[in-house]
Amino acid sequence: MHFSIIEKVILAGLTLASLGSFGYEVFRRVAIVNKGTGSFPFDRIPERLFRVFREVFLHEKVIRERPFPGLMHALVFWGFLVFGLVTIDHFAIGFYKPIMSESAHHAYSYIVIPFAILVIFGIVSLAYRRFITRPKALGGMSPTSGLVAVFIVVLMGTYIYGETGLSPLVWKINWWVHSVIILAFMYLIPRSKHLHLVLGPFNIFFRSFSQPDHTPVHIDLEGDEDELDAMLNDLTKLTKNQALDIFSCVECGRCTDVCPANRGGGILDPKHHFIMDLRQPLLDGKDVSVLDQINIEAGWECTTCQACTEVCPVGNHVEKSDEIRRLEVLVEGRVPQEYQKLFTNLQETGNTEGASSSPFADSFPVFTADKEYVLWLGCFARHGLDPNFNKSVENFTKILDVAGVTYGVLAEEQCSGDPANRLGDKLTYTMLREHNLEQLSETKKVVTLCPHCALNLGKEYSQYDQINYTVEHHTQVIGRLIDEGKIKVKMGESGKVTYHDPCNLSRMLDIVDEPRTAIKAASSDFQEMDESGRNTLCCGAGGALWWKKETKGRTHLVRAEQVIESGADTVVTGCNFCFGMMKQGLGPMTPEGREEVIVKDVADIVAENLVYDL
Amino acid sequence: MKIAVLVKQVPSSESMLPLSSDQTWIDEGQVSFVMNPPDSFAIEEALLLREKIGEGEVVIVSMGPERVKKTIKEGLAKGADRGIHLEEEGKIETDPLSNSKSFSSVLKEENFDLILTGLQSDDTGMGQTGVLLGELLGMSTATLAMETEVQGDSIRVKRELESGWFQWVKLPLPASISIQSGLNTPRYPSLKGIMGAKRKEIKCVSSAEHRSGAQTQFMEKVFVPQTSKQTEVIEGDADTAVARIIEILKSDIKVL
Repeated sequence: MHFSIIEKVILAGLTLASLGSFGYEVFRRVAIVNKGTGSFPFDRIPERLFRVFREVFLHEKVIRERPFPGLMHALVFWGFLVFGLVTIDHFAIGFYKPIMSESAHHAYSYIVIPFAILVIFGIVSLAYRRFITRPKALGGMSPTSGLVAVFIVVLMGTYIYGETGLSPLVWKINWWVHSVIILAFMYLIPRSKHLHLVLGPFNIFFRSFSQPDHTPVHIDLEGDEDELDAMLNDLTKLTKNQALDIFSCVECGRCTDVCPANRGGGILDPKHHFIMDLRQPLLDGKDVSVLDQINIEAGWECTTCQACTEVCPVGNHVEKSDEIRRLEVLVEGRVPQEYQKLFTNLQETGNTEGASSSPFADSFPVFTADKEYVLWLGCFARHGLDPNFNKSVENFTKILDVAGVTYGVLAEEQCSGDPANRLGDKLTYTMLREHNLEQLSETKKVVTLCPHCALNLGKEYSQYDQINYTVEHHTQVIGRLIDEGKIKVKMGESGKVTYHDPCNLSRMLDIVDEPRTAIKAASSDFQEMDESGRNTLCCGAGGALWWKKETKGRTHLVRAEQVIESGADTVVTGCNFCFGMMKQGLGPMTPEGREEVIVKDVADIVAENLVYDL
Repeated sequence: MKIAVLVKQVPSSESMLPLSSDQTWIDEGQVSFVMNPPDSFAIEEALLLREKIGEGEVVIVSMGPERVKKTIKEGLAKGADRGIHLEEEGKIETDPLSNSKSFSSVLKEENFDLILTGLQSDDTGMGQTGVLLGELLGMSTATLAMETEVQGDSIRVKRELESGWFQWVKLPLPASISIQSGLNTPRYPSLKGIMGAKRKEIKCVSSAEHRSGAQTQFMEKVFVPQTSKQTEVIEGDADTAVARIIEILKSDIKVL
C-alpha cells in the first residue's frame, strides 16, 4: 500500500504530538515521584519479577477479587499484548513498509482475530458493568472510561475489517481511523487512570514484601532543633514508592470494598482518603509534601488491618493511617481524649490500663536463662482486658508443660507499644521499645499469644534496632508440637468449627496454616469462612481501636455477624483482641432461639483435646 | 494578658492507693502520679485565650515535691511559656487556706491578669484554692466556668449552676476562675513542644520561702472505705412491721 509524502508528514506530525504529549505527561509524574523520600528497592529481583509475572501477566489478583470483571479485564489485557506486534506493523506500513511478510501477517491474524473478538467481549462487559450495573466502588460516571471503551471496540473492529480484503480506498480510510484512535489513546493514557498500563508493572515490581510498610520515625530526644525540624518536616512527605502508588491507582475501589471501617458504616474510603485525595495536590504542588491532605477523621477510623493493601491489583500500599496519625500526634498534638489517657497510661506505667501490678502475670514462673522461651503475655492478658482470655493463656502453658517446653514471663515486661505505634505516638513507642529491648537483651526465643505483640517485638522493632531473638506466635509453636508428635490431640466435640484469621497474624505475619493444623487436629468438622486467610475481615479492634470510645459505624460487629451467619457452633481465633471482640459482639447479635457461638483460642481447642498418656 | 494556671499532681485514677504505715496519707512509693485531669482543661483554656488574644504569657504554677516538675513540664510541652514550682518537703500540706497563702506570697509580685484552676483536685477534692487565692490577691473570683470571653479589662464567664441552669457573669480583671471540666478539648503535647519544654524556665521557690506560718490543718487518719452489709429482717404482722418501718425512717434514716 502506498502512502503519499503528505500522508507521511501528517502521520509523523500526529505521532510526534501524541508521543510527545504522552512522554511529557509521564515524565512530569515521574519527576514528582522522584522527589519522594527513600529509594526504590532493588533487592530480591527474581521474586519481584515472578510477582510481576503472576500479578500482571496472569492477572492473579485482578481475577481473584472479582472473578468475572477480572477475567474480562484479563481478556482485554492479553489482547493488548497480542496486538503489540500488530500495532508496530501497522505504523511501519504507514511510514515505510510492513515488518511482517504478507504470509506471516496472514498467519498471525488467525491468532489475533479471535483475540480481537475476546477483547470486544471483555470491554463491552466491562462497559456494561461500569455504565449499566454501576457498582458503587467504581465511583461516579467516568466519561474517559466510556471513550476508552469506544476506542477499543473501534480499534478491534477496524482491525478485523482491515483483514477482510477491502478496496484500497476503504482500506486506507480504515487504516487512518485505526491510527488516529491509537494516537488519541496514547494522549489519554497519562491523563487518566489508564496510566496504570504504564506504571502498574513497575509499581508491582517495587511493592514492599512487608505489610504494613511505614517509614520508621527515629526520635532522638537529645538531638538538636534543626534535626527535629527536618524530621518533622519529612513526616508530610511521601516516599518514592508511595508517590508511585498515587499515580498507579486504577480507581477500581477494591480497597474500599474490603475496608472494615467502610463496611461498618464509617466515613473512611481508602481509595479516596489514602490515594485519590493526594493525586491532584501532587500535580498542583509538583511536590510530595501532601500527607497532611489525608482526611483526619477517616484516618482515626482505620483499623490498620491492611485489607486495602492486600487487595490492590496494581500493588499499592494503600493504608496511610500511620502517616496522618503521626502528623496529628507528633506535629499538631491533636489526639482524641481516650487516646491521650492511653498514652499517659503507657508512659506512666508501661501498660495500656495504667495498672500498677498484674496478679495474673505473677501466677506464672519467672523467666530464667535455663528456660527455652520467654512467654510474652502482653497487656491484654496481663491486665485482663477480657478476663475470659486468662484461661486461654493457661491452656497454652498446659500444652507447653505436657510437651516439656520450658518458659517464663518477664517481670519487667511492658506494652510492646503496638497501640502507640499504630496511633502515631512514636515517642511513647520509642520509650516502650527501648525498655523492652533492654529486657530482652539476653533472650533467644519469645513466644506470645498476642499477634500485635508478635508483630511489634519482631518485624517492627527490627526496623529500628537489631534484635537478637526470634518471635513466635503460640499457634506456630502448637502447630509444630503437633507435627513433631510432641503432643497428641484427639478429635473433640466442638461441633461445627470455623476459624477467624486475625489480620496481624495472616496479612502481616503470614501465619495462616499453623492455626489450621492445630484446629484440624482437634476437630473433624472444620469449615472456612468466606473471607479467610490473607483475605480475612478485621474484627474491628486493630489500630488500637479497642480503646476507641465512640464509633459511628458498626465496624466492630460486621465480623461477628459473619461468624453467626456461617452457622458455626464454635469460632476459633488466634488473637486476644479478636477473642475479646468476638465475645462482645456475638452475645447481642445472636438471634433469639439460637445458641450463642462459642469463642475459643487455638490454645483452648487444642488443650481441651490433649491426650496425656503418650 | 498574663495568665497563671494552678496545676496539681495527683495519683492516677488507676493507681492502687496503699495507706502509709502511720495511716496519715498514702504510701506514694507504688503510686503513679499524673496531672490532675480537671487542670488540663484549665491549661487548655489559658492557651486558647492566649491564642485568641494573640499575645500574652501562660505560666504553670504547681506545689509539691520534686516529682511535680514533670507535670509542670507537661504544661510547658503543651505550650505554656514558663513554670513556677513551689517546693515542698516532708509532709504534704492539704489545707487549701495555707496553700493559698503560699501561692499568694509567690504570685503577688507577678501581677497576673487571670488565674485559672481546674474545678477541684482528684485527690482531696476541696475545690477552694483558686477562690481563696483570688481573695488573698484582691481579685474577682468565679467558679465552674463553662465558657470564657475576655472583653477589654473584664472577663465574661458562663457559670454552671445546679440542674442544668447557668449564669453569665462579668468580672473585672484581675480575676481568679475555676474551670469546669469538658468545656474544651485538651491538646496533647507535640514532639516539638516536648523538646522545646526543656529550654523553658521553671522558677523554684523553696518551702522556707513560701511557707509563712505553721501548718493549721492535719490529716489525723486516712481510711479505706469498709464495705459492709447490714440487713434487718422485720418480723411480725403488718401493724408491727409498719410501726417498725416508721420508726426506722424517723430515727435511723431521719427522712420523716
